[in-house]
Amino acid sequence: MPSTEEGKAGAWFARFSHEISAAWAISRKDMITYYIKPNIIVMGILFPFFMFLAFAIGKNAPPGTLIPGLIAITLLFSASSIEPVSIPIERRVKTFDRLLSAPISLHSLVFGESISGFLYSLGIACFPLIVGIILFATPIEHAPVLVIAMALTAFCFATLGTLFAAYPTENVGEVMSILNTVRLPLIFISGVFIPLSAMPQIGQEIALFSPLTYGNDMIVYAYTGTSLFSPLLDILALVIFILIFQFAANRLYKKFNE
Amino acid sequence: MNAIEVSHLSKRFGALTALDDISFSVSEGETFGFLGPNGAGKTTTIRILTGISYPTSGTATIFGHDIGRDTIAARQSMGIVSETSNVYDDLTAWQNMIFSAELYHVGRYEREKKATELLTTFDLYERRNDKVHGFSKGMKRRLTIAMGLVNSPRLLFLDEPTSGLDVQSNLIIRDVITGLIHEGVTVFLTTHNIEEANLMCDRVAIVNRGIIAAIDAPERLKNTIQSVQSVVVSFDHSSAQQLDEIHHLSMVNDAIKEGDKFRLYTEDPATVIESVMAYAHTRNLRVTSISTLGPSLEDVFIRLTGLQRTGGAIHAID
Repeated sequence: MPSTEEGKAGAWFARFSHEISAAWAISRKDMITYYIKPNIIVMGILFPFFMFLAFAIGKNAPPGTLIPGLIAITLLFSASSIEPVSIPIERRVKTFDRLLSAPISLHSLVFGESISGFLYSLGIACFPLIVGIILFATPIEHAPVLVIAMALTAFCFATLGTLFAAYPTENVGEVMSILNTVRLPLIFISGVFIPLSAMPQIGQEIALFSPLTYGNDMIVYAYTGTSLFSPLLDILALVIFILIFQFAANRLYKKFNE
Repeated sequence: MNAIEVSHLSKRFGALTALDDISFSVSEGETFGFLGPNGAGKTTTIRILTGISYPTSGTATIFGHDIGRDTIAARQSMGIVSETSNVYDDLTAWQNMIFSAELYHVGRYEREKKATELLTTFDLYERRNDKVHGFSKGMKRRLTIAMGLVNSPRLLFLDEPTSGLDVQSNLIIRDVITGLIHEGVTVFLTTHNIEEANLMCDRVAIVNRGIIAAIDAPERLKNTIQSVQSVVVSFDHSSAQQLDEIHHLSMVNDAIKEGDKFRLYTEDPATVIESVMAYAHTRNLRVTSISTLGPSLEDVFIRLTGLQRTGGAIHAID
């Protein structure tokens, strides 16, 4: 006969397994339903690409050296574009109530929503990565670091997208407008186009509060072997941002449903 | 143990009190109707009972689980069919069913078996691989209910299940709900169709402006307003002008035209029948049918909610 401790552990494991499988079901549903929606293609693929071109054209730097920056902003825009589109739509057609009333925790709901943005973003960011390898033979110094950097950055921005999608509206445009007031400044203050060392002191201080700073720094390290911070610090910073976004999203979804 | 136990539940949105200290319980296996005009607090109650929203004060338990503190366990035993057919248009009927089952932790073998069984019951199995955006309103409604049943709930929340549907969908849904009631599933039914509540519910609560105005079995509620009886009469020739004339007959409190019939509200049906026969004679009309009716649940509803019947329609009197 199992002891009380074993029974508790079994119940905890069963609950954890249920939460994970429900979160994965939510992600799969989002993948089937939203990955090819026009506004996600525009905001997640075309927007970062053209944004990058706008800055890259006219620069004297060899195209291959621009690949880390392109990967960083692709991760930012694609990861944070799924939920700000899907959740307002689901609020409008009332399918979001189905998720809110399901026997799962809000953390699993937020996590499940973020996973779809995370996977979408990783898939999209593989394009600049492959272009860099095939067309420009851009060398990668630390491939495992690049994988970790891309995964953490993608998940961080996917959670950011889920956080902003908590804003209680049925209008996609409203969430996107608010989100863009944060996303657009991030690409200027995070060392993607302008190195942090070339920025004024105040800019460098503000950059410390941007998750893109750490994601970009780690990606640059993976490509060049040099970076502003150590990769461990970048990882720690990204994990802290993920936890902040996750808990803030959890609180906001709860608050706005009251 | 009661399926639902609500105790001193209140919900305020700023200055607006949506629910004002309501208490009621629903026994296991009971079919409970929750009726009220728009804005009465029905949706707020359902959102609190399903754990989507939180009360300002008071408690609610589902099979003994506090919906605020033990939310997941409370939700596990319930099925929810919301007023809107909230299905995923870009998924197939099958994918919708499986997704719903996954949210409720139904095992792989069981969910496929249950999805097949429910889609067959709701006459959707042949269309299981079609995306839902091509479905009619009735088909989407049937799918919504099927999704609400995929976890074999002990308690089913049904919000306006048959509102505005075609005859086929209506019949299928009513058959399924009747079957569930016979199986002992507790049903919490919100409907504007008062006759539906009258036929299906063991008890109904009439809620108005955030408070429960009455709660009892439909027949007992009707007995409380025996003074509202009616005579239904039809003539071989009817015109709108007749409505005004018979409205002024002796002992008629109110009169409405229902198709080719007139319904005359009274406290004294015998006198009204005499008046109607005399009226027919003087107008050279032949009475093709005449019957007396006791108060309906709708009459109780109108009386308790302060709504007013005007020419067959019901209007709020604020």
